[in-house]
Amino acid sequence: MSDSFSKARGDVGSGQETRITDTLLRRVAIVISSVFTIAIALLLGYILLGKVDYSLIPTIFPQFVDAYVLVLTIVGVSSVLSVSSGIFVGLARVSKTTLTNSIAAGYVQFFRGTPLLFQIFVIYFGIPTLWPGTFPIQDWGTPTAILALTLNHAAYVGEAIRGGIGAVPDGQMEAARSLGMGYVQAMREVVIPQAWRNALAAIGNDQIILVKDTSLLTVIAIPELIQQFRNVNSATFDPWTPLLLVAIAYLSITIPVGRLVEYLENRSEWGSERV
Amino acid sequence: MTAALLEFDNVDKYFGETHVLKTISMDITDGEVCVIVGPSGSGKSTLLRCANRLEEIQSGEIRLDGTAISAVDADLNSLRQQIGMVFQSFNLFPHKTAIENITLAPRKVKGIPETDANERARQLLNDVGLADEADSYPNQLSGGQKQRVAIARALAMDPRVMLFDEVTSALDPELVGEVLAVMRELAREGMTMMVVTHEMGFAREVGDRVFLMADGNLVESAEPTTFFNTPQTDRGKRFLSKML
Repeated sequence: MSDSFSKARGDVGSGQETRITDTLLRRVAIVISSVFTIAIALLLGYILLGKVDYSLIPTIFPQFVDAYVLVLTIVGVSSVLSVSSGIFVGLARVSKTTLTNSIAAGYVQFFRGTPLLFQIFVIYFGIPTLWPGTFPIQDWGTPTAILALTLNHAAYVGEAIRGGIGAVPDGQMEAARSLGMGYVQAMREVVIPQAWRNALAAIGNDQIILVKDTSLLTVIAIPELIQQFRNVNSATFDPWTPLLLVAIAYLSITIPVGRLVEYLENRSEWGSERV
Repeated sequence: MTAALLEFDNVDKYFGETHVLKTISMDITDGEVCVIVGPSGSGKSTLLRCANRLEEIQSGEIRLDGTAISAVDADLNSLRQQIGMVFQSFNLFPHKTAIENITLAPRKVKGIPETDANERARQLLNDVGLADEADSYPNQLSGGQKQRVAIARALAMDPRVMLFDEVTSALDPELVGEVLAVMRELAREGMTMMVVTHEMGFAREVGDRVFLMADGNLVESAEPTTFFNTPQTDRGKRFLSKML
C-alpha cells in the first residue's frame, strides 16, 4: 500500500513518460557519488605516490614548522583580540546612542566592505608614511598581520554578535530589568550569554576564515605557510611536496577549531537532550 | 482606609498617534488584590507595564508608596526591586537552572551571599511546589512549572507589589489551575497584587476589586460580587455577557 503522497509523486502513472521517482533519484546519487569518490581517491593516490617527493620533506620540514608556529601565534593573538573586540563592536551596534551606533556601523562598513588585502596594504605601507620622521617600529610585518586580521574579523564577529543579540527575545531584557538589574548587568548576565550561543556558529565560521586569511600575509613577506610554498617551489620546481605540507598544516588548525565550536555549541544546549 | 501603595494619577500613554491609556487614575492599597479585566487591546497590559516603567508614560504620574516611578530622575533599579512582575511568556532565563533563575537578581542586585540566596530560593521553590525541579533548565519544565518558577523568581526580591500580566494565557488549560493556586495562596498571605487576566473565576474569587478597561479607559471599578452580578455600565454589561 502506498499513501496518497507517494502516489502523487508518480508511483501511479501511465508508465509512458520518464518520471523521477525516489528510487531512481537514490540510484543516480549513489552512482554519481561513487564515481566522484573513486576519481578523487585515484587523483589523490597519484599525487601522493607519484608526485610528492618524500625525500625532500626532511629538508623543507623545519621551515614549515617555523611557519606553522608563526601562523598559530598570529591566529591565536588575532583570534582572541578579534572575538573580544567584536563583542564590543556588536554591543555598540545595538546601542541606542546614535553616535556609538554610527561609529560602529561605519567601522563595520569599511572593514567588511574593503578587501583584507587592501587593509593589509593600508597598514603595512600606508601607516608608516603618516609618521612624522622615521617610523619607529623596525619589524612592522607581524604587527600589521595581527592588526589587519583583528580589525577585519572584529567587524564580522561584531555583526554575528549583533545578530545574536537581536535573536534574544525582548522579554529577556524586560524580565532582567523588572528584577531591578541595570542595563549593563542585564546585558552581561542575561542577554550576552544567549547572544553568544546564537552567534557561536557564525563566529566559528569567521575564525576558520581568519586562519585561512593568514595566507594573504605572503604579500608582505611574512614567512607563513604560503610563503614557504613559494620558496620551495621556486627553488625545486616541485609544487606537490610543499602543497601537501601546506594542506596538512591548515587542516590541522581548521578542523580542531571547527570541533571546538561544535563542542561549545553543544555545551550550551541548556537542558535539552543533546547535552 | 489605608494609604495607597501604588497610585496612578491621570496617566496618559500614547503609542505614536494611538492614545492607549486615557487619563487613568487608580489607587491600590497595601494588601489589595486588584484584578484588571477587559477586551484585548483595551490597554490593561500596557497599564501594568507602565507600573514598573517597562513603558514610558507621556503625562500624569505613577507613584509607589509616594515615590514617583515616572519621574525623570527616579531610581528605577531600586523601585523595580519592590515591584515583582510575572509575564505571559514566562521570560525565564533559558541558560540558567530554575534555582539560578531565582537567585540571579538577589545575588547580583542585592549582593546576597550565594548560600543564603540558595536557601531562600529552595524555600520559594518549595512554596510553589517545585522543590524537586531546582536544577532543571526552563526547557525541561512544563508551562505551568515555568510560570511557577517565574513567580518564585519575582518573589525572591521581596517585592511590595506583584504584577501579573496574563500569566495563564499561554498555558494549556489543564496547567492553568496550578498557577492560579500559587497566586491564590499569595493573595491569602496578604501580597499586594495587580492582576491582568481573562480568568473571570479567579477575578471573582480572589480579587478585592475588579477594574474594567475598554479602549484605554477605566470604565468601571467595583467589588467582584457587585461587578459580576450588577455591572453599573453598559460597557460592563456587554463585556460580561460575552465572557460568561
